[in-house]
Amino acid sequence: MIQAMNLTKRFNGLLAVDDLSLEVREGEVFGFLGPNGAGKTTTMRMLSALIAPTSGTALVNGHQIGTESQAVRASVGLLTETPGLYPRLNAEHNLGLFAKLHGVDDVDGQVRRYLTLLDLWTRRHDPVGSFSKGMQQKLAIARALLHEPLVLFLDEPTSALDPEAARVVRDFIETLKGRGRTIFICTHNLNEADRLCDRGGVIRQRLIRVDTPQALRQGLYGQSVLVRLQQPAPGLETTIAGLPFVSSVSAVEGGLRIALEDPEIHNPDLVRTLVEAGAAVQFVEREAHSLEQVYFDLMRESEAPETEVTA
Amino acid sequence: MNESRVQAIITKEWLDMGKNKMVLIMMALLPVILVAMILGTAWLMQRTPEADFDPNTGSSGMALPAELAELGAKTGTMVLINDQYMFYLLLIPMALPVYIAAYSIIGEKETRSLEPLLATPITTAELLTGKIIAAVVPAVVLAWLSYLLTAAGMILVASPIIVAYMVRPVWTLSMALHGPLFALLSTACGVIASSRLNDARAAQQITALFIVPVIGLSMAVLMGRVYINLNLLLWATAVLVLVNVGVLWLAVRLFRRETILTRWK
Repeated sequence: MIQAMNLTKRFNGLLAVDDLSLEVREGEVFGFLGPNGAGKTTTMRMLSALIAPTSGTALVNGHQIGTESQAVRASVGLLTETPGLYPRLNAEHNLGLFAKLHGVDDVDGQVRRYLTLLDLWTRRHDPVGSFSKGMQQKLAIARALLHEPLVLFLDEPTSALDPEAARVVRDFIETLKGRGRTIFICTHNLNEADRLCDRGGVIRQRLIRVDTPQALRQGLYGQSVLVRLQQPAPGLETTIAGLPFVSSVSAVEGGLRIALEDPEIHNPDLVRTLVEAGAAVQFVEREAHSLEQVYFDLMRESEAPETEVTA
Repeated sequence: MNESRVQAIITKEWLDMGKNKMVLIMMALLPVILVAMILGTAWLMQRTPEADFDPNTGSSGMALPAELAELGAKTGTMVLINDQYMFYLLLIPMALPVYIAAYSIIGEKETRSLEPLLATPITTAELLTGKIIAAVVPAVVLAWLSYLLTAAGMILVASPIIVAYMVRPVWTLSMALHGPLFALLSTACGVIASSRLNDARAAQQITALFIVPVIGLSMAVLMGRVYINLNLLLWATAVLVLVNVGVLWLAVRLFRRETILTRWK
């Protein structure tokens, strides 16, 4: 659905996005992660045909950016970082304008549908400037969906919202999953990405890694279990390290961290060996790495350029 | 050019304009002040005795142009001053679109609404056409209404010959042709300034500079150096058309979507 090939963008010589290639599949929710100035918004603007790449190209919904920009823009929905609504106009007029610009057949019907879907119908005649930030963001999402685009770009959809409003918006995005739409989310909210995204890409000017959140964790840390012990057992680490399915053992507070090939298969053998070696095992649990840990470790690994560009 | 998209922009602009009290006040103020000033001056002059006007120089201290000398000192002076005021009426289609256009483009920057707008299939030409029409039409309508109101008011406060001179073909044509041309020029300049600047007031001030030549022309009329006739009107129209074409071309060229999106912070 989205195919970026060697996309590069420079602003007055400053590198914003460097040789980015990626593929986002139909119906997938793809999270684009990175710090401020990493090139997330610039990439999204290139993919939604708002700005032209310096080099490289991309196919979005079968249309090539640069040569078929109007067709690209007609087939995607874009939620910008700030809602960008007309505060003096009411909700109905705000949506009506965009429905007409996208050539929606039944403008009134589609506006009513989305205002109802997002619980804004009763406020349809109120000026948007009187709306809360959460309501404005919901209206901006409705605006991006009015023409039923197959690809939806969401730039930091919850960044300026309070936790309650952010949850409402996140819940709505979750309802959009599985309806055949491809959703591309730029975010630095890693919990949000973990919850919503099928796959994620980490960017810092260049794409550092792309995978499912689970695979990103495994790629960095492998699979490991934490064994809680009632008391430390001398020589235990050496015994466990000698097992063929154990790749590493390290002592942590109150126990051991043991990296295994496959915990589901090897845990019974591991526990048996521990008990036989005299360990008083309290708990064995799978170690959970948050996407946040993964992200920070990837950032540390990356050799980021010194310059930071925001656009 | 997709007409429905242009129409959608015009509708949005007018809806927004209708809810912007500052713009509405500014749009109403200038025509009201000008019409009141023109009619007030005519009313006062009409009541001034003929003897108070110098038969050689009118009241301005400068000689009346030959075309007006035969009307007598009082009537000639009134026609001369009215002719100058007609230039002021032409300031309406020049001044109002500057105000509207600056807000219509820079207002998008202030509300950060330009990016979602540019993310639709709308082309730059459609967007600018919509915005220019939305700024030009109210200004031209207000200028024409002011002209009609002034003429109607003149019937009540001045002699028929003053009214006849005021609505003579050269002024009626000037209002009909130059009004829209000035408005178009002014809006295009507003679009250029707005595309380059981040502040609506700065855009208005810079664009307002091109009102100066029109004021200069009006002073030349008052001083009897220039007399507006059909020949001058046609020349002015031709020049205005050419300037308009050039400035509109420049406005579209300078409105770079990418630069505006990435530089407007």
